[in-house]
Amino acid sequence: MAVQVKVMRRPEPGRSSYLRAALKGMALTFKHMVNPDKVTQQYPEEQTELHPRWRGTHRMEVHADGRPKCVACGLCPTVCPANCIRLVGGEDDQGNRYPVVYEIDEFRCIFCGMCQEVCPVEAIHVGRHFENAEYSRSRFVYDLDRLMEQDHPTTLLWDPSDPRSE
Amino acid sequence: MVTLTIDGQEVTVPRGTTLLKAAESVGTKVPHYCYHDGLSSPAMCRLCLVEVEGAPKLQPSCVTQAQDGQVVHTGSPNAEAMRRGVLEFYLVNHPLDCPICDQSGECKLQDFVHAEGREHGRSREPKRVFGRDDFGGDVLFYGDRCVMCTRCVRFMNEVEQDPRLTVVERGNRSVIDTFFERGLDGTNWSGNIVDICPVGALVSKDFLYKQRAWDLDHTPSICPSCSQGCNIDLHTRDNLVQRLKPRTNLEVNAHWMCDHGRHNYEFMNRGDRIEAPLVKEGDRHTEVGWKEALSTMLDRAREVGGTVRAVASPFSCNEDLAALKAVVEALGGGEIVYRLARAEEEIPLKGMPTLARRRDLAPNGTGADALGLERVGDDDGTGGLETVSSHDGVVLVLGDALQDQAADFAGGASLFVYLGTHASEAVQGGDFILPVTTFAEQEGTFTNRVGRVQRFWPGLQAPGAARPAWLVLGAVASELTEAEPANTAAEAFSRWVASNEPFAGLDYASLGTRGASMNEPVSAAGD
Repeated sequence: MAVQVKVMRRPEPGRSSYLRAALKGMALTFKHMVNPDKVTQQYPEEQTELHPRWRGTHRMEVHADGRPKCVACGLCPTVCPANCIRLVGGEDDQGNRYPVVYEIDEFRCIFCGMCQEVCPVEAIHVGRHFENAEYSRSRFVYDLDRLMEQDHPTTLLWDPSDPRSE
Repeated sequence: MVTLTIDGQEVTVPRGTTLLKAAESVGTKVPHYCYHDGLSSPAMCRLCLVEVEGAPKLQPSCVTQAQDGQVVHTGSPNAEAMRRGVLEFYLVNHPLDCPICDQSGECKLQDFVHAEGREHGRSREPKRVFGRDDFGGDVLFYGDRCVMCTRCVRFMNEVEQDPRLTVVERGNRSVIDTFFERGLDGTNWSGNIVDICPVGALVSKDFLYKQRAWDLDHTPSICPSCSQGCNIDLHTRDNLVQRLKPRTNLEVNAHWMCDHGRHNYEFMNRGDRIEAPLVKEGDRHTEVGWKEALSTMLDRAREVGGTVRAVASPFSCNEDLAALKAVVEALGGGEIVYRLARAEEEIPLKGMPTLARRRDLAPNGTGADALGLERVGDDDGTGGLETVSSHDGVVLVLGDALQDQAADFAGGASLFVYLGTHASEAVQGGDFILPVTTFAEQEGTFTNRVGRVQRFWPGLQAPGAARPAWLVLGAVASELTEAEPANTAAEAFSRWVASNEPFAGLDYASLGTRGASMNEPVSAAGD
């Protein structure tokens, strides 16, 4: 079968004013100006409501006495597919296991949320939060103190009995 | 010999073999806690029960001997249901604190329950709580996690033969305990009870909360702390040795190692290493590349000539020592000496007469003796180097850090070359300071006190430009004699074998992880 070429017919240069097309476009623009269903949000005055399962930067839960809930079990650095968690365990003055060093590189993190899912003591959480701008790259490695200071809401875990969060 | 059928597979084993070992020989691992290859079998954990056709009830496979014509089922519905039940009983009081338990990842209770246990426990009663107890020595005891297999009690009774542990109370209140406040202090082999504990009841204080078991890389190696040559595994992570564990070799150390060797690993992690070849120019040393360092050194060596005096180290492997000897011979020959610290007395393990912490506190004194090296110095590994220090020809030092020597060591030497890992004060006068690797960073072999040649493998990355001494010295020797250099550890090994009559016939590959003995055992160093 011979190859067929479709020939497009266009107005020759100088023979069309494009006025009709311009008016059509402007009509759409003005229609949106008065559209009651508009979607534009006035960020940052108006904050977006994040989905309950939104996964953003991390947060470490703390006990009432200010200690981190983390027991340094090592499951989150083990499960982390991006290898962004550094953990060094140790023994505190009461003989308990605790994290001497706990660092998350938020640049490396892919926000899969598996650290929260695997945590046996519900200490590390990913959060419903996205405003992470910093002035230096090094500030994106969150250490334990920084993670404990975070106060944004935490992510709701996926519930197998309610897979669509309804 | 008796022939029996295990899970449909016919197997012939020597008379007296237990069903558990017979099943192992056909690749079926029967779960067990109380049974251990190095201990007696009390058949009390009730986990290794298997179904034997014709027997009225399930038989404990760790003590039932194989009989002709027996038909054994390890995975029959009966046996499996029983194991599931036994495991559920174990979990009635087990705290399930796996996230903070050091055994997690190498725990037999985790493994067996994961493989065959129930998904959810049905026990509603509160678990009994014992808390943790300091047993003394390096051992901590978490009574809640204990499964009462009594391996530790039997180890202390049968192998160390210093009964320090016992079971007190009965029923579900029974717990392992020491006698009064005596504890395990003063014992020399009690670290082994941490290894044989199938759960996290006995843990090492040294390793407590340090690393997770599944993160550690295991490298087969040889314990460098004495001339016994115990087979060990280096457990490494982050390029640091985190702990040492014994590796089973029935002909050397069976399943055990002493606490002295077990805790002597920090020297492998020392950070202040020589990382680049240093050449002396005037009063200071300059870092250069290997090629430049070796070619300058060879030029100097050819220029000055003269007799050689060398100091070797019994911590160097056979290949290193043979390469050193080849260099000394190529330079015109000379005396090689080594120094070896000697302990006051042996630390025997009563239950195994062939195993002890030996007096010679280095792994390769026998290898050095076999090469004709002369032992000098005192029992604390110092002194004895007066003739080397005052030598006016070429002085070579390999491995010995010369910690006790003064800063003017070998001040009159025409050429002073130091190959080592750390630069002490006495080394500062060296014309060439060359970085070499420790045994943990290279391949090689040690010869233990009875002439058994055993391989070790690199578990750590060498720092900077450090290279194995056999590679460095082999290159030097090949330049001097125009022979082919040894490029692999296997080649270096074959050269060492070729230069040593007693070791003739040994083959690097066939040494494997278990080692082989030399043809004629030389008299063990210092004994």
